Amino acid sequence: MTQNMDSKPVVKRESKNKIRVEFERTALSERLKAKYLSTYFLKRAAWFIFRFLLLVGIAFVVIEPFITMIASSFTAPEDFVDSTVVNVPKHLSVGIYKAIVRDIHYVKMFFNTLGLSLGCAILQTFSCCLIGYGLAKFKFRGAKAVFFAVILTLAIPHGTLQSAIYYRFRYFDIFGIFKFFSGGLTSKIGWLNTVLSKIRILPYGCQDGLNMMETVAPLLILSACGLAFKNGLYIFMLRQFFRGVPDELEESAYLDGANTFRTFVQVILPLSVPMMITVFLFSFCWQWTDDFYVPLFFATTKPVLMTNVAQSIPLPSLQLIYKNVTGGSARYARAMRYGCGLLASSPLIILYLFCQRYLVQGIERSGIVG
Amino acid sequence: MTSEVKAPAMMKPEPKKKKKIASLDRRKARAGWLFVLPFAIGFVLLYVPIIYESIMYSLYNYKVVSGTLTKTFVGWANYSSALFEEANFVQTLIKGLKEMAFDIPAIIIFSLFIAVILNQKMIGRAAFRAIFFLPVVVSTGLMESILTTSYAFSGTSMDLGMESEAAKSASDMALEGLLFNIFDSLGFGSGLITYIVSAVSSIASIINRSGVQILIFLAALQSISPAIYESCQIDGATAWETFWKITFPMVSPMILVNGVYTIIDNFTTDSNSVMNVITDTYASAVRNAKHISAAMGWMYFLVVLLIVGAVAGIFSAYVFYQRRD
Repeated sequence: MTQNMDSKPVVKRESKNKIRVEFERTALSERLKAKYLSTYFLKRAAWFIFRFLLLVGIAFVVIEPFITMIASSFTAPEDFVDSTVVNVPKHLSVGIYKAIVRDIHYVKMFFNTLGLSLGCAILQTFSCCLIGYGLAKFKFRGAKAVFFAVILTLAIPHGTLQSAIYYRFRYFDIFGIFKFFSGGLTSKIGWLNTVLSKIRILPYGCQDGLNMMETVAPLLILSACGLAFKNGLYIFMLRQFFRGVPDELEESAYLDGANTFRTFVQVILPLSVPMMITVFLFSFCWQWTDDFYVPLFFATTKPVLMTNVAQSIPLPSLQLIYKNVTGGSARYARAMRYGCGLLASSPLIILYLFCQRYLVQGIERSGIVG
Repeated sequence: MTSEVKAPAMMKPEPKKKKKIASLDRRKARAGWLFVLPFAIGFVLLYVPIIYESIMYSLYNYKVVSGTLTKTFVGWANYSSALFEEANFVQTLIKGLKEMAFDIPAIIIFSLFIAVILNQKMIGRAAFRAIFFLPVVVSTGLMESILTTSYAFSGTSMDLGMESEAAKSASDMALEGLLFNIFDSLGFGSGLITYIVSAVSSIASIINRSGVQILIFLAALQSISPAIYESCQIDGATAWETFWKITFPMVSPMILVNGVYTIIDNFTTDSNSVMNVITDTYASAVRNAKHISAAMGWMYFLVVLLIVGAVAGIFSAYVFYQRRD
């Protein structure tokens, strides 16, 4: 380096528009040495390799169950009794999937679950947006109480409320309205009773309120009110996001004569698409795999939903399909279970792959931090 | 004269102006209520009654006699029977608390570490992020039940399946032993070693439960101004110093948020053993008309609340808030 400083660079004019500077450069090997043998570079390279290996390792832990599931569910019957086959099958077959699709009504299950999840997710996204926006941008008396209530719904374990939720919707009633119109309260007042029993607004039998069990109504009601599974989290996220949206946008919309709701729909919602997609993704996926509310509201009839896939795994078909198979039935059962799991989760994974870009974007912009 | 004339003219428009401002505020307040109306209605008409009834369930005995509900007041009997008669509850609760004391620091540390790494520029960052957030979406109760239920397979043979499971656990044991020896020879205390070893062996469940936390930390990291890091670098701070002096204080509010979220999440998931006890009790309660599950749930909630309060209280003393504006 010091030698280099001594010799002055020589500037030559090559042509009209070009000059050429000649100076003594350090030799290539020296330069490479300086660049790659420094502790700085070595440290960085070591950190790079370490980080990469670590991430690959952890990513493998995340993906490993899926790999196992895929491998095991495509295993052909003869491999179940082959003790040399552990995870990667020697022979491939789709027999498992054929059996599953035939026995558990996969197509029906898929569309039922899709309809329910879509309905709940859209309702939840919209109502959580409304509530979050109301909490973020308006100062009104009781706003803090409402926010505290939102956090409360998030914090109370839903198992605590299990039986109360059940009876609430089993004997659904608000201020005794249904009881009144169905004749539950009026039996002592003769004339009113006769009038109401003739009108019959509601079926006369439901003296204790509406029975909403075995329908999707409770789920939809909870979703519309922002009380369904983890909705407190969505409301919190959306509130933080809306707080980051500059007030000037709304003020200019108000000046142009839009009311608050129109401002919300036409100005604020288009801005918050990534955040809405995030919330939609969460609510859709968590409704899809929900195993708390669905068994609670469908206690006696098992609806054909993805949630019940674990219970409806067709085990007896083993003896019917593979008569010549003697051992390996446990592995067959496992493969069956994995196949069901893959079929149940693959729509979610596909959806996630499309939406994950927005997921990070939405969370980053949400300014949960601010 | 002139001042006398002006004064009433000045006075007149003032009350009007005041009225207008007040009405705009009130209109905005009304709009705010309209926006939170769905929640307010749901909360008052559904959630509050549900909470009330749930507390009542824990104090009463309910029976369905020929289609109608009858209730008898039993006071704290449900609570005492949950505490002293139900064999599993107290045991599981203590075990669950122990597990939580172990899991939550592990989840927080792990997710902060991963978030810091995922925040750096590198090859395949988008792919890694996509993979790391996958558990948020997929790994819920359903998948857990599919992956972990050991099938009570009636009939023939459990031969090969059992064998491979046994082999797997044996290799796990060997790994744990190896790790223990390595750390022991490095001279760490045995308490720390057992903690790290068990954290490593339960890494899969920790990863699966830290997706949301990684997301929140990542958002926090992204909000730190790069100018601070730049000035640190110019002043010659190492990466280690930068982390402890800049990154850690800046994300410390999110450590609090994540801690509270993790505790609540841990408590309310169905894979939680205490929740399983409550759910099982509920399932048997439908048959036995005994509502211990509500009493259990409320005691559980109180414990959760106490822990969240304690954690939030202790941590908020150490949290650093960057003053803005």
